Amino acid sequence: MLSAFCRAVVSAANQQVRTISCSAAVSGGHSFVHRDTPGNNPDTPFEFTPENLKRCETIIANYPKGHEAAACIPLLDLAQRQNNNWLPISAMHKVSEMLKMPRMRVYEVATFYTMFNREPVGKYFVQICTTTPCMLGGVGSDVILDAIRENLGIDVGQTTEDKMFTLTEVECLGACVNAPMVQINDDYYEDLTVDDMNRILNELKQGKKPKAGPQSGQNHRFASEPKTGLTALTETPTGPGFGVRADL
Amino acid sequence: MASPRIVQQGIKQVKPLMSVDRTEARRRVLNLYKAWYRQIPYVVKDFYLPITVKMGRDKVRELFLKNKHVTDIRIIDMLVIKGQMDLVETANIWKQRNHVMMFFKDTVNPKPKDFLSKFYEGQE
Amino acid sequence: MKGMKVKTDSPVTRKAREGVMEFLLVNHPLDCPICDQGGECDLQDQSMAFGSDRSRFTDNAFTGKRAVEDKNIGPLIKTIMTRCIHCTRCIRFASEVAGVDDLGTSGRGSDMQVGTYVEKMFKSELSGNVIDLCPVGALTSKPYAFTTRPWETRRIESIDVMDAVGSNIVVSMRTNEVMRILPRLNEDINEEWISDKSRFAYDGLKRQRLTTPFVRNNSGELVATDWETALFDIAQRVKDANPATIAGVAGGQADLEAMVCLKDMINRLGSEVLCTEEAFPMINSGTDFRSNYVMNTTIAGIEESDLVFLVGTNPRLEGSLVNARIRKSWVHNEMCVVLLGAPVDLSYDYQYLGDSFSVLKEIADGSHPIAKALADADKPMIILGSDAIQHNNGSLILDTVKRIAKNTKKSLNHPDWKVFNVLHRNASQVGALDMGYKPGMDSLKCDKPSLLFLLGADADKLNNDDLHGNAGVIYIGSHGDAGAQMADVVLPAAAYTEKDAMYVNTEGRAQVGRQAVSPPGMARHDWKIIRALSEILGVSLPYDKLSDVRGRLAEISPTFDRPGRVEETGFDNVSDDVTIDKITHTGATAPVVPALLKLRDFYMTDPISRSSLTMAKCVQAYDEAEANPYSKPEAI
Repeated sequence: MLSAFCRAVVSAANQQVRTISCSAAVSGGHSFVHRDTPGNNPDTPFEFTPENLKRCETIIANYPKGHEAAACIPLLDLAQRQNNNWLPISAMHKVSEMLKMPRMRVYEVATFYTMFNREPVGKYFVQICTTTPCMLGGVGSDVILDAIRENLGIDVGQTTEDKMFTLTEVECLGACVNAPMVQINDDYYEDLTVDDMNRILNELKQGKKPKAGPQSGQNHRFASEPKTGLTALTETPTGPGFGVRADL
Repeated sequence: MASPRIVQQGIKQVKPLMSVDRTEARRRVLNLYKAWYRQIPYVVKDFYLPITVKMGRDKVRELFLKNKHVTDIRIIDMLVIKGQMDLVETANIWKQRNHVMMFFKDTVNPKPKDFLSKFYEGQE
Repeated sequence: MKGMKVKTDSPVTRKAREGVMEFLLVNHPLDCPICDQGGECDLQDQSMAFGSDRSRFTDNAFTGKRAVEDKNIGPLIKTIMTRCIHCTRCIRFASEVAGVDDLGTSGRGSDMQVGTYVEKMFKSELSGNVIDLCPVGALTSKPYAFTTRPWETRRIESIDVMDAVGSNIVVSMRTNEVMRILPRLNEDINEEWISDKSRFAYDGLKRQRLTTPFVRNNSGELVATDWETALFDIAQRVKDANPATIAGVAGGQADLEAMVCLKDMINRLGSEVLCTEEAFPMINSGTDFRSNYVMNTTIAGIEESDLVFLVGTNPRLEGSLVNARIRKSWVHNEMCVVLLGAPVDLSYDYQYLGDSFSVLKEIADGSHPIAKALADADKPMIILGSDAIQHNNGSLILDTVKRIAKNTKKSLNHPDWKVFNVLHRNASQVGALDMGYKPGMDSLKCDKPSLLFLLGADADKLNNDDLHGNAGVIYIGSHGDAGAQMADVVLPAAAYTEKDAMYVNTEGRAQVGRQAVSPPGMARHDWKIIRALSEILGVSLPYDKLSDVRGRLAEISPTFDRPGRVEETGFDNVSDDVTIDKITHTGATAPVVPALLKLRDFYMTDPISRSSLTMAKCVQAYDEAEANPYSKPEAI
């Protein structure tokens, strides 16, 4: 009875008050419209290095003639790796030119995949997973996220002043069983604790390369095996021909 | 015995409409004319007509004179009755502006008939 | 499953549909009252048919509804991208029909946007069609914005005269004003598209119009006057002129009725000098056979062809819908395109043979590889552009191309297939030639006319030196353009939306355009002006009604009597065999290039589009786009 009354009051209040409308936040803070900036415009220099150019040729040769456009994603990735982990618009133009595809089609690919950074990022691109399993597993991603914030002094979507770290929040990266985890550039750091996180970041700051993979959260396990050791598939893997009929 | 009836019909007295003689008929016509004459300023004003009082009176005169050849008393009476009806309708503003202005209709040019005049007029 | 019953209108289905509609509207603004698509919106229709009468949408997070930034893609298309429902029809049109991959989607999921990603103009001659394609009000017409509602307008089915394609259009009219022009479906001509010039040049119908007759006074100024004065002034000039050298020129947008009246009147006055603005070499059988000057295979026939050889033409700008048809074939039928002319952007790949006449000669001699390709093709087409025909050595080019066509035909498996085609630029040209007008004004210049009638002839190809000393010029037309400037008497006529008139397109298809609005001021229908004038001149034409004029047209040619149909041309073999004239190669031949090269040249080509503000804005936007690094042609 009381709850019904409360609902009535609340809904009445809702009807009376007109909310000020504002545009919805764009996810990740990225705009899906390009605007020229001093650092990112069609004149921004971008050329593949000779080694990468050779790689491009190999990649393009993987696909049938006339279907060069299939090499769009690998080429964009190569361009991004070469260019400090981000893709200027001139790089997209370069790729479109190499693959003989309309620029718009390259823009489409580059904006569709969130792994392409269309704005400059820090040397270490820290992506923390905050999807449910990571949020609940281990110490939980909330704690890890706070630790990163405190350590780097930046919030999600920001870059440190020395252009070393960029922090973003991402959805599931497929390492749920080793939650919580972060991805820094190409490496996964799993089974994190706050200490682990701080250690990893500090080592990166010192120019060292911390060991990737599971950390101390689950006692430095090898992969994603249970804490108490294997419970299945304990025997040596069988060789080829196991269990096949003798007459075959 | 057909002939007596025909004779009877021939000499049958015509029943008067209103007036019994020409003098009375004339009086009725003059009365109507005066009534119209007096009404015209109000007509022009009430209907906000694009004409002057003189134009209105001239038109009344013209319309009366149009029937000056009529000699049959019954026809004169009938015309007077119709004129009175028109007057009542006008005075009571049962008519509308365009109905009154219909009296002036013959000032409008006739529709062009041949190709060239149609062309000049811009009418199909 | 056998015996299964599918209920399409049960309460459950209706509720489910309502639910889907509600979801659609969660991401769509409810701004129908201020939306230009209102009344012709697919989403609105769906919502009325299947939707609920109220919304349960509450903005729990107080973030507002989805909102998307508007794009600036040029002066023709207004974008309100919040209304976009991501159907991607515009993207598919741009990429598949127009061949301009400027539109696409950026982002993903609920952040997806349709647009150009970078700010640039949607540079296509068919761009306006995305307005019709857009099911909602995301892409609307900029010039038409906030002017009328579709239910307020009357729609009149008519014919476009901006090019020789003869696109079928619908003219939307309200309060005696053309509000907009839309395409009308005709699978044989324009399918469901029209070019931007056809669609947006209509505001030129309200500018620079002649609304009263003018007569040039003694001090050389044109003074407004009435019809009677103007016509009697002309009568005086006719009296003073030598009847044999009274001449008439039919302009690019002249209709059949006016042209037949002008021809009959001038013939009655005793002269034979009647010509069109566009030239055509009168070699061999000249324009005696229809197959010499029309698009014999028809526009729809392009889809059957497997090889198109374009000579001295830029079909993209001279006949946009012909080009769209070629592109369609190129995409779907693997048709090959070969081009001799300027290396223009045709929105598809082609083999470029350069711009030299000598290549043409090699092909005719059989020494060029293309000659073999033509011979091997199943149904080859040669499309000769009107600029090639009007080349200094036009007769040579025409003769050579005809020779190529003749050679090609020998090895053809389809005896009925006609190889030779001409793509004209002017809506009046084929009709005028059918009627017996002489192509080009060379003969007229030789005759030094003593009195000249210009029927909407605004191409500015004549000057006073071409005329007899004190010759009078009488201009009959709709706009104060080049023709009216040189005229001594100006008679205001109707533009194409203001008259019931017939036009013959480049295929030789006669079509009836209908009157949408009445001519402005004292302007009159073209044929009536000539009919009235003939009466004053004492050579009354025997037709008072439009049906009488159409009857006269039917007498001249049965093709005029069957509007909408294209009569197959006969005697093409005979015409090929006529070789009366010995054509000699005279001196060096200039490159065979068309006049319209860039999209910029496309927008303003005739009196109406030259008066159009929208078209002027397009030219301006094109110039600005030239400076935009994103608008540079892509190396594909």
